[in-house]
Order: sequence, then structure tokens, then C-alpha cells
Amino acid sequence: MWTLETMMSEAAGWLDASGPEPDVVLSTRVRLARNLSGEKFPCCSTDEAAGRVRERALSAMSKSNYLTNALVLPMEDVDPVTRRVLVERHLISAAFAEDGAGRAAVAGEGELVSAMINEEDHLRLQCIRSGLTPVDAWRLVERIDSELERNLHYAFCSDWGYLTACPTNVGTGMRVSVLANLAGLSRTGRIAQVLKSVSKLGLSVRGFYGEGSSAQGGFFQISNQTTLGQSEEDIANTVERVAAQLVNLEHEARGELLKSDEHRLEDEVWRARGTLANARLISSAEFMDLASSLRLGVALGLIDAPDLATLNRLLVATQPGHLSRTRAQRTTARERDIARADLVRKSLAGLN
Amino acid sequence: MKCERCGTRTATVRYAEVVDGSLTTWHLCEECAGERGVTGSLTSLAGPLVNILMGLLEGGGEAVPPEADPTCPRCGLSYGEFRRVGRLGCGTCYDTFGAQLRPLLRRIHGSTEHAGCVPTEVSEDHQRRKEIVKLKRKLARAVQVEDYELAAELRDTIRSVECEMGSVQKVDVDTRNNDE
Repeated sequence: MWTLETMMSEAAGWLDASGPEPDVVLSTRVRLARNLSGEKFPCCSTDEAAGRVRERALSAMSKSNYLTNALVLPMEDVDPVTRRVLVERHLISAAFAEDGAGRAAVAGEGELVSAMINEEDHLRLQCIRSGLTPVDAWRLVERIDSELERNLHYAFCSDWGYLTACPTNVGTGMRVSVLANLAGLSRTGRIAQVLKSVSKLGLSVRGFYGEGSSAQGGFFQISNQTTLGQSEEDIANTVERVAAQLVNLEHEARGELLKSDEHRLEDEVWRARGTLANARLISSAEFMDLASSLRLGVALGLIDAPDLATLNRLLVATQPGHLSRTRAQRTTARERDIARADLVRKSLAGLN
Repeated sequence: MKCERCGTRTATVRYAEVVDGSLTTWHLCEECAGERGVTGSLTSLAGPLVNILMGLLEGGGEAVPPEADPTCPRCGLSYGEFRRVGRLGCGTCYDTFGAQLRPLLRRIHGSTEHAGCVPTEVSEDHQRRKEIVKLKRKLARAVQVEDYELAAELRDTIRSVECEMGSVQKVDVDTRNNDE
């Protein structure tokens, strides 16, 4: 049975490192922005209209083969810690965690498909998959969207495509983003130059948790900047091609690092594992640093355990909301540092 | 960090604005941010994007004089308000502000023509519209080179396609209105 409890006690499916290029690309996310024709966009809508939109969207989703057994969370019933957990799992945006009329989050089994109702647009439909897979992820979202479209009349115009609240999303309403670990390029100092060329190709680069977040632990999100004038497939292909080039450059950079001073790097990796496996207090920043070193070590074959999936899952499980989830009271930073160290120690227990 | 405006209270809001094409970031306290029209955490997030968006618009020198500030008949949003918040209020806004949005979309996306998926229910209509656009371009070229025979032929074709469209229920751009 797929419930909020089972969902939160397990790691999201896309963290399992089963997709293509798992040592560099953590996940690929494709989202579509859609609005219902005949209804004002959420920013200008009344509570009553927002409720109506929610009902219509949920009713259409209940008929989708891809969302059978999906978890439906009316946001007014979701407590602040759980909201935070949903943000950390990339199921909802930080803005959506704030109050707003008629909001609901929908999460399909395994969290590969999810949706936000009444965020900036009436419907934000997304698919997150492991590894570098923009075209496949787009095909899945497209199938679900076609199912929904049988029961929902979208705001659409021949010239400008799917109409969205923000003109930066109009057209396909599609954003494809790839979450990549570019620790090698960061360390060799080539990252700025590489990211500059990525942006020249019309893609944008952001941190781990999207807009305005920093690039913790060498993680960057690369996504399409424009949504009008190109087909969905072309956009997905462009992101896939550019990300594949980034993967090559990252592999080159990692190779250079290994060549320049293997012993120092090996020492750093093993020290990171030692600290993570034994520490009693770890801040979020320290964890990200050490996990990044360990990840690099695993990717370069300097160390064979833990595996990438364990490291991926810890990235989300060590976030503040997840650490506070089982506590009745609001937790302090110190309590979370203890809980984080406990969790990491348990995950790495039994390694030799 | 102290507020960079009043220098006394603690800065809690990061505010970015585009002046003469370059991005300036300010760290402000709630009060000073409020005076600058930045309020709440949502706006502090939206602020930079809105400013960048508007920077694009200002860059083109297409500021709309206040007397020509159109208002959407459906949701009541004025173009001036859109420029302030960076979000449109409904699908009809795209019709209402079409003339102003076109150059903005071109600057954001480098295009003003949708090339992606089309809802099944509008796809026939959409195909016809695309065809008309193409035919009109051909017509303009024919007139330019003074090929009046071709021009007349094209004009008739355009009329017949438009005629076919007339028999199809118009379904694009939020023509239905059911929440007032």
C-alpha cells in the first residue's frame, strides 16, 4: 500500500543509480506546465475557483494509468515538517510549501511521476528518473499528459502554445533538467569556463535545489532556458547532448585529478569515509563536502563501498526535514547534526 | 549583515535589480525592502527573475506610456501590473497584451512561434492556422515579385481554408468563460 508513511520511510526511486551515466548524473527531471482553459491562473484566482481546478485536475489524474494508487496530498492538511520533506524529495517547490488556495501535491508510486496543483500554474506535471535520460523521461511525461488531456481542456493558443502564468514557460511549458555532479571540473578549476559555454548553448545552470540554491557538493542542475520555438523532442535532445558532453568533460577532469596526485586523492577519500563512518556530529555542509570526496573516490574506483545508490539516498535523507520527520518537536540544528551523524554511521556500518 | 539601505536593522532580504543592463544585488531589512516594493519571502525569490525579465523589456526601450496601459477584460490585470509582478493572470492576457508580449517573447525565447505538441482537440484547427500563416507569407512574396496570377490563387486558397475553419468551433485562447 502506497501511503505517505511508506513513501517517506523509503528513498525515492530515482536515487537508485540505475540509469545511464550514474557516476556523474544523479537524475533527470522533466516537467510540464499546464493551465485549464476558462479559469484564471492561480495568482489571480478565487479560493472557490482554485478548489474547482483542483477537483477537475484530480478527477482527470484518477483516470490516468500512470497515476493509479497515486498519493494525493491536499496541502492544507500537510504539516510544515512534511512540506519540508516533500521539498527535499523534489516533489514540490519551496514556493508551493507556502500557503495557497486549492493546492495539492500528487505522488505516484516510487515517486517517478508527481504533480503540483495550483502552484504558479494550475498543473505542474513531472517525471524524475535515475541517470541521464531526458528523451525517455519526456516520452513518459508526454504519455501522461495525453491521458490527462482527454479529460482536461488546456489553455492553448496556436501561435504561443500552452499558455502559462510566466512568459518564460509559454510554448511547450517544458523544463528538462539534469542533476549532475561536476566535482572533477570544480576541482580542476575548469567549471566556470565549462558552465559559461553551457549557457552560451541556451541552457541554464543552477544549484541542487533549483532557483537561487547553491551548488553544494559539486552538484549542478542544467536545464533548457527557452520553451518557445522548438519541439519538446528537440529540447530534450539538446539537453541530453549537452549533458553527455559534460559527462565526458567531467570524466576527463577526474582522470586528470587521478594522474596529478593519486595518493593525496586516495588519502582524502579514505579520510572522508573514516569521518563519515565515525562522526557523532555532522553539519549539512560538512556532510556534503565529505560525501562529495567519497563519491569521487567511488567513481574513480579508489574505494568500492559504499555504492552510489547509498550516497544518493543520503543526499536527501540527511536534509533537515527528513531528519526532523520522526520528531514530535521542532528540532534544533544541534539535534539534527546528531541525527545526521547517526544516520550516516548506520548507512556506512559494516564497510571494511 | 546590516541592511545596506538604513545600515541599522539586520538584512533579511536579498534584492536584485537590473540597472542599465547590469545586475546589482542589495541586502535589505524587511522595512526597507517593503519600501522598495519587495515584500514577503515569495517576492524576494521572484524579485530577481521579475527584474531580469523587466530588464529585458526595458533594454528594448519599449516602455509603455501610462495612458496606453491596457487591461485584461477577463482577469482585470493591467500591463503595468504584469510588468511589476512578472506573471500573467489568465489565458486571455496573452490576447490582450499580444502586441506588448510579442517582442518580450522574442527576447526571452528567440522565437514567437510554438513548434511543440498540440492538444488533440485543437490540432486540426492548429494545422489550418499554420497553413494560413504559410500561405500569407507566400502571398506577400508573390505580390512583391508582381506575380499577380499566383497571388490571386493564393488569396483564394487562404479564403477557402479560412472558410473551413469557420465551420470548426473556435477552441483556442480561453474563449470560454465560466468563473464569473
